[in-house]
Amino acid sequence: MNSDLRMQTETSSNLDYCSLISEAKHARFDPNLPEIRIALLGDASTQQFVPLLKALFRRAGFNAVVYEGPFAGIELDVYDADSPLYRFRPDCIALLNASQALRIQYYARPGTAAEFLQGTVERMERIWSAIQARSTALILQSNFVLPLERLFGNYDHKVPDSLYPVTAAMNTQIAERSRSHAGVVVNDIEAIASWVGRRAWFDERLWFLAKTFCALDHCPLVAQNMVQIVLANRGRVVKCVILDLDNTLWGGIVGDDGLNGIKLSSHGDGEPFHLLQSFLRELSRRGILLAVCSKNDSNNAMEPFLNHPEMVLKLEHIAAFVANWDDKAQNIRRIQELLNIGFDSMVFLDDNPFERNLVRELLPGVVVPELPEDPADYLAAISSLNLFETASFSAEDLKRAQMYRVEATRRQEQSSYANVEEFLSSLDMRITVESWDDFHLPRVAQLIQRSNQFNLTTRRLSEAQCRAIMQEPAGWLPIYAKLTDRLGDHGLISVVTCEVSGSDLAIRDWLMSCRVLARTVEQFLMAHVFDCARRLGLSRVTGEYVPTPKNAMVRDFFAQFGFQKISEEADGRTLWALSLETFRPPATYIRQTQPAELAAIGS
Amino acid sequence: MTTQLSPEQIKTELTGIFRKVFDDPLLTLRDDMKAADVEGWDSLSHITLIVSIERSFRIKVTLAEIQRLNDVGALIQLIHQKVH
Repeated sequence: MNSDLRMQTETSSNLDYCSLISEAKHARFDPNLPEIRIALLGDASTQQFVPLLKALFRRAGFNAVVYEGPFAGIELDVYDADSPLYRFRPDCIALLNASQALRIQYYARPGTAAEFLQGTVERMERIWSAIQARSTALILQSNFVLPLERLFGNYDHKVPDSLYPVTAAMNTQIAERSRSHAGVVVNDIEAIASWVGRRAWFDERLWFLAKTFCALDHCPLVAQNMVQIVLANRGRVVKCVILDLDNTLWGGIVGDDGLNGIKLSSHGDGEPFHLLQSFLRELSRRGILLAVCSKNDSNNAMEPFLNHPEMVLKLEHIAAFVANWDDKAQNIRRIQELLNIGFDSMVFLDDNPFERNLVRELLPGVVVPELPEDPADYLAAISSLNLFETASFSAEDLKRAQMYRVEATRRQEQSSYANVEEFLSSLDMRITVESWDDFHLPRVAQLIQRSNQFNLTTRRLSEAQCRAIMQEPAGWLPIYAKLTDRLGDHGLISVVTCEVSGSDLAIRDWLMSCRVLARTVEQFLMAHVFDCARRLGLSRVTGEYVPTPKNAMVRDFFAQFGFQKISEEADGRTLWALSLETFRPPATYIRQTQPAELAAIGS
Repeated sequence: MTTQLSPEQIKTELTGIFRKVFDDPLLTLRDDMKAADVEGWDSLSHITLIVSIERSFRIKVTLAEIQRLNDVGALIQLIHQKVH
């Protein structure tokens, strides 16, 4: 179930403040749900967010434990290594800085506005660094809602000292500085406030009475925004958008209206479709896969992609194209098999309410947003749901669509070989196995967040936690693997960490992108792990399998290499061990990239 | 509100609001009831209460009026003034 994303598609009536408070009060503690520990620090009241976060995390399948710092005492908590904040052991820390508090400080500034601006953002950055020196918690830094007061009116923009431009500059600086702090995410309160409308956002009486920074009605949106950021960091992200064609990607029905009859021009009644396509192409460039699922004759469906001059999306943007007369749930299952990603990381866009309901009914994991009647409102409706929240963006994302297309070619080729071994040999696969480094760390962290199926322990290490392992290598063996073959580059596709434990080398994390299943990558890496154990003078390699709803494919991972099961817990975890003498390197069709080749590939 | 509301009618509607805000279906209001008499009546539930009252009676209460309120009787009186 993807209740977190489903939640986003619910109407605002499900984000009613009083109902959520009551929902939080009546939710029974469920010991089977994973826990999220979230700390709230602010110069505004944070009290109202406690029940809201509990209720919203609960809807997403988590027990939230919330810590509230002392009012306006962020520094007290963050600079004391033994403070209640750190004793709480938060997974994430939300820093809520209210623009009302900023305004008071601005009006009381001793120096110039420029000094005030500089001083304020530097103070924030010192707080981030202080936290990161003591904790690996994800930091959610709020930005500032632009004030209603404009000292000079429109002329404010020509007077950078005025509160309004100072606040805007503050937000720009927060964003810029966050880019050099992995583990700090901007909690874009200003975006929520302008979406609501700032006049309705502020209820200054509540600030004067209780230091509540916005009208109560809008507090749930703030809490939901935090939930979305945290969940994306836990790997709950959309990876693929599945698209209907007629009246979704273009106006009209291509089978009836013909290539020249569909509405698709960049102005007039085709413009909403043109715009939606432009947005989708941008998503594709950002690494989200696009797939087509259409009830259509295949040739008709394909024709606009090939021959319509105003189509923004081309076949090269589509990772999987399914057009036939089968039901859409069936076809989405095909797309799922083809792309090998979970249903719960898919969004389905279709103008037809019947199809939407069918997919909701039969594939409850898939996120199916309501689309408004009027195509002019499509993009606004999709955007208001914040469906594409993510926790990372790497060079790998830019290549993803292309890699999936290459993968499709491979699959076609595979069928022309006599056997799989012959096919695998023909691929001329080369692997690079290295210790983590600064350059690859973002992708390492991203793979850790995203991999669900081929993942033995599903420990969601954050980028900061990865960095901690990378910088404290004593006893740790944190490696990544990159794979290329003659058809193209797969990029960084596997992450393994091991820790020396007595005379054992214990495998702590092992995960791999499903794009490279059945390529013998894991066989190569297992031999590598045993080599490392040998060089370290150890006698055994151990490993653990922690079952999740999604990782059944690796249940027998250790058994296939000859590991013996040494224990099995009530919750299904299994512990495995294999001595170095007993291990026999399995067959693999991959060769290690030589350092010289590495340089030539330009990695 | 177009129709005249009596203090009793206001009290009835207000009881419903209190029950919802304090999540207590049996709560009954007395004119001399103060924040200390109701479990969970803190500054946050106070503003929740005021915002709910404003919405329900379609009135707007000023900061000073909120700060002056010291018991349920005063609250009913304030609503009565505002709706007429």
